[in-house]
Amino acid sequence: MTKQQANWSPYDNNGGSCVAIAGADYCVMAADTRMSSGYNILTREYSKICKLADKAVMASSGFQADVNALQKQLAAKHLTYQHQHNKQMSCPAMAQLLSNTLYYKRFFPYYAFNVLGGLDSEGKGCVFTYDAVGSYERVGYSSQGSGSTLIMPFLDNQLKSPSPLLLPAQDAVTPLSESEAVDLVKTVFASATERDIYTGDKLEIVVLNAGGIHREYMELRKD
Amino acid sequence: MDLGKVNLDAPHSMGTTIIGVTYNGGVVLGADSRTSTGVYVANRASDKITQLTDNVFVCRSGSAADSQIVSDYVRYFLHQHTIQLGQPATVKVAANLVRLLAYNNKNMLQTGMIVGGWDKYEGGKIYGVPLGGTIIEQPFSIGGSGSSYLYGFFDQAWKEGMTKDEAEQLVVKAVSLAIARDGASGGVVRTVIINSEGVTRNFYPGDKLPLWHEELEPHNSLLDILNSTSPEPMNI
Amino acid sequence: MSQVAVEAPPKGGFSFDLCRRNGMLSKKGVPPPSYRKTGTTIVGLIFQDGVILGADTRATEGPIVCDKNCEKIHYMAPNIYCCGAGTAADTEAVTDMVSSQLQLHRYHTGRESRVVTALTLLKSHLFKYQGHVQAALVLGGVDANGPHLHTIYPHGSTDTLPFATMGSGSLAAMSVFESKYREGLTKEEGIKLVCEAICSGIFNDLGSGSNVDVCVITKGQKEYLRNHQLPNPRTYVSSKRFSFPKKTEVLLTRITPLKEMVEVIGGGDIMEE
Repeated sequence: MTKQQANWSPYDNNGGSCVAIAGADYCVMAADTRMSSGYNILTREYSKICKLADKAVMASSGFQADVNALQKQLAAKHLTYQHQHNKQMSCPAMAQLLSNTLYYKRFFPYYAFNVLGGLDSEGKGCVFTYDAVGSYERVGYSSQGSGSTLIMPFLDNQLKSPSPLLLPAQDAVTPLSESEAVDLVKTVFASATERDIYTGDKLEIVVLNAGGIHREYMELRKD
Repeated sequence: MDLGKVNLDAPHSMGTTIIGVTYNGGVVLGADSRTSTGVYVANRASDKITQLTDNVFVCRSGSAADSQIVSDYVRYFLHQHTIQLGQPATVKVAANLVRLLAYNNKNMLQTGMIVGGWDKYEGGKIYGVPLGGTIIEQPFSIGGSGSSYLYGFFDQAWKEGMTKDEAEQLVVKAVSLAIARDGASGGVVRTVIINSEGVTRNFYPGDKLPLWHEELEPHNSLLDILNSTSPEPMNI
Repeated sequence: MSQVAVEAPPKGGFSFDLCRRNGMLSKKGVPPPSYRKTGTTIVGLIFQDGVILGADTRATEGPIVCDKNCEKIHYMAPNIYCCGAGTAADTEAVTDMVSSQLQLHRYHTGRESRVVTALTLLKSHLFKYQGHVQAALVLGGVDANGPHLHTIYPHGSTDTLPFATMGSGSLAAMSVFESKYREGLTKEEGIKLVCEAICSGIFNDLGSGSNVDVCVITKGQKEYLRNHQLPNPRTYVSSKRFSFPKKTEVLLTRITPLKEMVEVIGGGDIMEE
């Protein structure tokens, strides 16, 4: 018998970029709203940002069918959690849950590149960044998706503490104010849209702070 | 079908219907007008019946690039030949030049052709030159992807000693039948009639062709209907 | 009889060592270098007194835009221009080469170049390379025989059409032409339709973007309208100025004079005659 080889792939890449920045008392999450496949735009208004709990928001790029399945799985787990504990999940707890959910499919992964942002138990901004199979890390800022190679070096230049070897270890959060962080996010997306063909159309920005969750939009290039 | 996977890098090929028929005074050549790259119709009104000399034409099928280069070379050689001979080249010479190129470069070429024309020695003649570079003199010849739908029809409908109009109507009918069944053939029907009096080219628009089994009447584009000021724009 | 044939090293001829190396590298998963491709929308149409060509201005390398305002309408002759899609190096090289040949031909004949001459030179070059020269072209011009518009595919096939599109955005642009083109357009109508077709490519095809270039060729004159439309300005400019404060720290400076590195090993043989 001859060996058969699959000539199709269960995965697609729908592109898009996500950014998260944590501050002392806020967290800014941002993603563009373009969804594409190959050289085609599937829609110009697809939200990549999903509220998982009161203080945990996830932005995901990659294969949106997998992202959708992942969001559904997390929502179900979170509902169970609420029934058992009678409270919302904290952001660090959600971070661990997301890691476990991704690793559960280690050998047929969710093709999803996530950043999770929110506020921790002290009300401090927190950002967790992931790979597709659940490796994660708490950081001060992060970027994922098709434009991440353009965005991340700029964020590093603007936000990274002088040296990771400095003692005592510096706080993970960025020193920016909330409005400065939003301005930075708008700039990096306007810039990434100039050079990355999969990023564009509209920018969705979600800000979490003591006052709750606020959402705003900004137009991006549509070509 | 995934429209994102439309392959525009694929070489141009003419999934084609081409026909050559002899009648009692000459020949009729016929072809559809579709040129496609994969599933995309790159040209919906192409002319696959190419002139080689005043009295010889060729119907091209297969790779567009290959058949164009072959017919360009043959035309060039025939022009030289005509000048040296001081009289028009015969259909046999033209067909043999096509065969020579097709046979000698069979590893490089993906093209089948039908050469047809009229000369004072042998009258109307049709030569089929299929893929490997064979040459066959035939009373009628069909070629291209659409021809597989036509063998039975020609066995039944072709008659010795048809008139010009009978032959042309047969060709138009056959091409329209093939267009109806073969997805790689389409567009309009072009015919070329060659006889002692010269050459006549005819053109049959796609919306004026006969309708066959289960084919629908052509109607206006949705855009025209929406732009018109009729009270019920969607009432087609 | 025992085998006596000894494999002698070949004398002269071509060396195909690098082919074997490249084969081995690609087998081990080292990808060949990527080319700058103009995932493109290029179009052309015939109007009442000539030809109009149009192009977007985006050049890409994979998902990255490497030139936001490149020129895709190439000069062939004073009365002939040519839009190029495909590998940028190929479209550039093939149009430059043919435009030189046309110039020499004009010096030789003292006549204006014809569009079919350019067409034949282009198609015979592309056919010779069997599709490996990845240039898809829309060729337009006005000559002694009136306006002409042709498309040329990488394998060397050509079409003659009243309106034509090429590149990754060709389907988007063609949909505009197929619904709105008619014979005998005026210059203004023609430019408007070309711009609309290009914009359809710019906005709906990710391989195309940025600005619209247009070239109008009529009997005896032409208008190259570089950046005729700029439909994609930057959407946000921060009021704040960014500083890039962290410089690379200089840890140590040492200058080694070059002459001290020169080591003379013995003396060579004295040249004799």
